[in-house]
Amino acid sequence: MPEPTRQSPTALGLDPRRASWKAWLLLAPLLVWLALFVLLPTILLIVTSFSNRDELGRVVYSFNWDNYRRCFDPTWLSIFWDSIVYALLATFICVLVGYPAAYTIGRASPANRRLLLTLVMVPFWTSFLIRTYAWISVLSQEGLVNSLLLSSHILPTPLSMMYTPFAIVLGLVYNYLPFMILPIYTSVEKLDNSLVEAAYDLGAGPLRAFSRVIIPLTRPGITAGALLVFVPAIAMYAITTLMGGGSNPTIGEVIQNQFTRARNQPFGAALGVLLMLLFLVCFFVLGRKKNSAHPV
Amino acid sequence: MKTIRPLILTLLALVLAACGKSGPASPPTATTPASAEPKKLSLFCWSEYVPQTIIDDFTKETGIKVSVENYSSNEEMLSKLLAGGGKYDLIQPSEYTIEALIKDGQLLPLDPGALTNLGNIAPEFRAMSFDLGNKYSVPYMAGFVGICVNTSKIKTPVQSFADVFVPANKGRIVVLDDAREIVSWALGSIKLGINDVTTENLALITPLLKKWLPLVKVYDSDSPKTSLKNGDVDIGVIWSGEAALLYAQDSKFAFILPDDGAHLFVDNMSIPKTASHPQNAHLFINYLLRADVSKRISDAFPYYNPNLAARQLLSTEQLANPASYPPAQKISVMQTFRDLGQLSATVDELVTQIKAKGK
Repeated sequence: MPEPTRQSPTALGLDPRRASWKAWLLLAPLLVWLALFVLLPTILLIVTSFSNRDELGRVVYSFNWDNYRRCFDPTWLSIFWDSIVYALLATFICVLVGYPAAYTIGRASPANRRLLLTLVMVPFWTSFLIRTYAWISVLSQEGLVNSLLLSSHILPTPLSMMYTPFAIVLGLVYNYLPFMILPIYTSVEKLDNSLVEAAYDLGAGPLRAFSRVIIPLTRPGITAGALLVFVPAIAMYAITTLMGGGSNPTIGEVIQNQFTRARNQPFGAALGVLLMLLFLVCFFVLGRKKNSAHPV
Repeated sequence: MKTIRPLILTLLALVLAACGKSGPASPPTATTPASAEPKKLSLFCWSEYVPQTIIDDFTKETGIKVSVENYSSNEEMLSKLLAGGGKYDLIQPSEYTIEALIKDGQLLPLDPGALTNLGNIAPEFRAMSFDLGNKYSVPYMAGFVGICVNTSKIKTPVQSFADVFVPANKGRIVVLDDAREIVSWALGSIKLGINDVTTENLALITPLLKKWLPLVKVYDSDSPKTSLKNGDVDIGVIWSGEAALLYAQDSKFAFILPDDGAHLFVDNMSIPKTASHPQNAHLFINYLLRADVSKRISDAFPYYNPNLAARQLLSTEQLANPASYPPAQKISVMQTFRDLGQLSATVDELVTQIKAKGK
């Protein structure tokens, strides 16, 4: 091996300020990927959202605002609202449950840490659909929980848990919890212990040290986790269909239905575009909040 | 930037987890075939309809690898087929969808020479109006849509669709997630035919649907028996085969075919004109038509089998299941769905909207 480390970036053709063709070459796979799988589909989605459909449900390209006008019908707006509430609840519960877990993992000894992290990842080894079906047999009227409650005479009649908003939020929390734990964990791991000690030295109690030092220092992890949970949760349809039974529709379900059984791709596309705009707003708001908290 | 790092790390971890998972799932590459067509077949079929063991045995017998994708309504199948998302070799449309697909020139004419077992199909199923003489389609299974009642929970007699959707049953009902079906029940309950779909008639049944759908707890076309079996609902309007499975497990599940609105459906095997392995598709159709194979389909999914040779192999118990083989005079008066043309979009929209509102 020659000694490439000795060469200056300029000698390698890598100008530190201006990207050379080599840098572009390195970026090319990512750019192609982005163009093919992000930019192109988005353009297709937007074009479709202004189109019509024919008798069999094929897209007929044209330009009209009808699909968007239909989106603002109270029916769909209230479903949008419900989905936001489900996703917010799921995110909130994920923070409550995930933060202590991530904190414990981050403060554990390296050997334990590896074990605990593996345990967080274990559920990903099975398909989330299988795990969701498992919940059905746990929560149904003749399922595990109800049989236990009935046989131990805690309850006289079985609880109705499946196919309710409760089941939807539970399914979301269960499936997205690792997405919250892992980013918080990376923040906690980097947390400088001397800063916490300094807080104690300066007279802060545990509560104050936690709220004024630990939380702000691990906020990037919380923000990242919240985005990773909230964004997919709002558009999720598989879990919500299975656990919600279709009678508590979410916006993800409505969109999926438009592309399948309702055969109205243009309308589904219009709802999809609105959902995308909602995500953009989320990123914008969370990004701003973070900046104002850290005016560095 | 602080947000970005945990984000990237997490995504990396997830990608790694995903890679590890997808490894064993990818099928081994097929050996180069001698015949003209690669030994592959892409099957697009209803969920809970074609037993996996039968597909495996077909692969063992012919060496043809079958990839399976499921759908839970004709409309879903249509949109995926016409979007060209996947190149399907074999589809399972119901009668009215066959009609629409033929009209649009989407189906490949079948080669009768390759379907040597077609004689097993009952004569009445070879003379269906949507495809006389089986030019484009061969019946796979038939069945009915009726009411399944858990008689240990619901004691009042149920005879019509209107009896299902009563306030006392609120939150105890499962129905098929299928706009065309739901509309046909409402039409039947006001003594109209299942094909009398006009703008005026849809307006007539709209108030009825607005009363009915908020009572529903579960919409499920894939496996409506699950919520009934688990006790989460006590009554449902479901496929006869699903009701037959419930009845075979526990006779407390009664199946009722209302005089108004119950209908016969025929699911068929057809080859889309875009198919890349039509020869293999013919082989598979002919295989499914074999009496012993069709009998095993009936074992797994006890619908009304149009294959007479297979029906002779069934046990008396199977033939006595009231959901699988109801009285002949009931069947003879039943109608089948016809293609609605432009109005099918209106039906989809009407039901989607009411369903979304009903909570």
